[in-house]
Amino acid sequence: MFDTALTMNDLIFLAKGAGITLIVTAIAVFFGTILGVIFGVFRFQVGPIWAAPLTFVLDVFRSIPLLIQLVLANAFVTTVLGWRVTGFSWNVTGFVVACGVLSLYTAAYCSEIVRGGVEAVPPNLRRAARSLGLSWGQEMTSVTAPMAVRVALPSWIGLSLGVMKDSSLVFIIGVVELLRSTQVLITRLQEPLFLLMVCGAFYFLISFPIARFGGYLERRWTYD
Amino acid sequence: MKTPLFAFGLAVGVAFAGAAQADKLDDVISSGTLRCAVVLDFPPMGSRDADNKPIGFDVDYCEDLAKALGVKAEVVETTFPERIPALMSGRVDVAVASTSDTLERAKTVGFSIPYYAFENAVVAGSRAEGVASFEDLKGKTVGATAGTYEAIWLEERVKEWGSGTFRPYQNQADVFLALSQGQLDATVSTVEVAEANVKSGKFAGIRIVDKAPMVPDYVALITLREEYGMINYLNLFVNQQVRTGRYVELYKKWVSETGEPANLTINGVYR
Repeated sequence: MFDTALTMNDLIFLAKGAGITLIVTAIAVFFGTILGVIFGVFRFQVGPIWAAPLTFVLDVFRSIPLLIQLVLANAFVTTVLGWRVTGFSWNVTGFVVACGVLSLYTAAYCSEIVRGGVEAVPPNLRRAARSLGLSWGQEMTSVTAPMAVRVALPSWIGLSLGVMKDSSLVFIIGVVELLRSTQVLITRLQEPLFLLMVCGAFYFLISFPIARFGGYLERRWTYD
Repeated sequence: MKTPLFAFGLAVGVAFAGAAQADKLDDVISSGTLRCAVVLDFPPMGSRDADNKPIGFDVDYCEDLAKALGVKAEVVETTFPERIPALMSGRVDVAVASTSDTLERAKTVGFSIPYYAFENAVVAGSRAEGVASFEDLKGKTVGATAGTYEAIWLEERVKEWGSGTFRPYQNQADVFLALSQGQLDATVSTVEVAEANVKSGKFAGIRIVDKAPMVPDYVALITLREEYGMINYLNLFVNQQVRTGRYVELYKKWVSETGEPANLTINGVYR
């Protein structure tokens, strides 16, 4: 029944693609979250009017299709800035652009999640904390942050999983990640359905632990 | 204060002027790497081997070009529609990707002289013993994949002869099957497809007898339109490939061990 030309070599090739998917996602989620927290708190703190320019920029990242952002950003660094990183066996420029664009894309969504989380903390509770003598920073880290994280966590896990799947779009600038390596194999072996199943299984293997980890954290923090 | 703005403008201006001086050819040589766009789902020109490494006529051609320039070759896989965008957005330096040299495309990109030409072969089936050249098809039953360039051309020839029959088929495999089963005398298809089908052994009794007297599909190397230094280099490189016999060598390696590659010159005109 499983008569396939897929070899061990090809599975390693797919695993390398999965590695690139993981690395790009990890970098994008890491920097995207840091930026997202900064932007989110800033937007909450200064109010909608002063944050308008930042909100506008983040909305640009949220509303332009990722594919277009990637192509334009890549064209910008290669033609206007004149980047020409060569001599590596992999596409360094494409990788850096992919991580940069995905980080900003993640940050744009994450800032909304963070803002929502911070807004969910009752203002009276925050005032009470401040009137007990806590500074803004102390109140933020010991009162608002723990409560906001609990509100924001499910959306954040959803965002991370979404970014992992969106990272498949980076093939357009020549980064060979999981989906692209699958396409390469499909072209060679002409077994599209089987290979897409294998690719889906790879994505599942990567995503499932993240989803479960989120569920575990949610349960653990419920009664803290 | 206008001074900082002026200084900034000056700095940008200098940066651009500096960038404009070195052309693509210089950039490639100084960076030590030539990035070629190659289409890898188009055997025998480009495909992948069992280790998923790029192979094919175009891949070897890119490596020859890099060797001539004294740099390393970097094959960047693109699809057919992606070739020109990849070039324009600076992802590659040249495209060695079987690009037909149309006048429409020449408005956007710069073409070298043709480096390869796709010719059409006359393939005879098991029942056409006497067919030895294209002229022998007169009065015979011929067929091709409906709607393709070669089918339209072949049907016109049959009408011109006033004898024989033309049969359209749904796809290429059906044509070769009909040929092998003796329902057809002959067909016309690209040399590359014909060679691959003969080699595959799936169609008993078919053989390539002649080249069809059609205008070949000339394909050329492309780079940015304004890169005259690069285009000039590419032209000379194609010339050298033919002169040194490397063109024939690559043709025998990838396309056909017995056949002759297409003549890349055209009678009655300079280029």
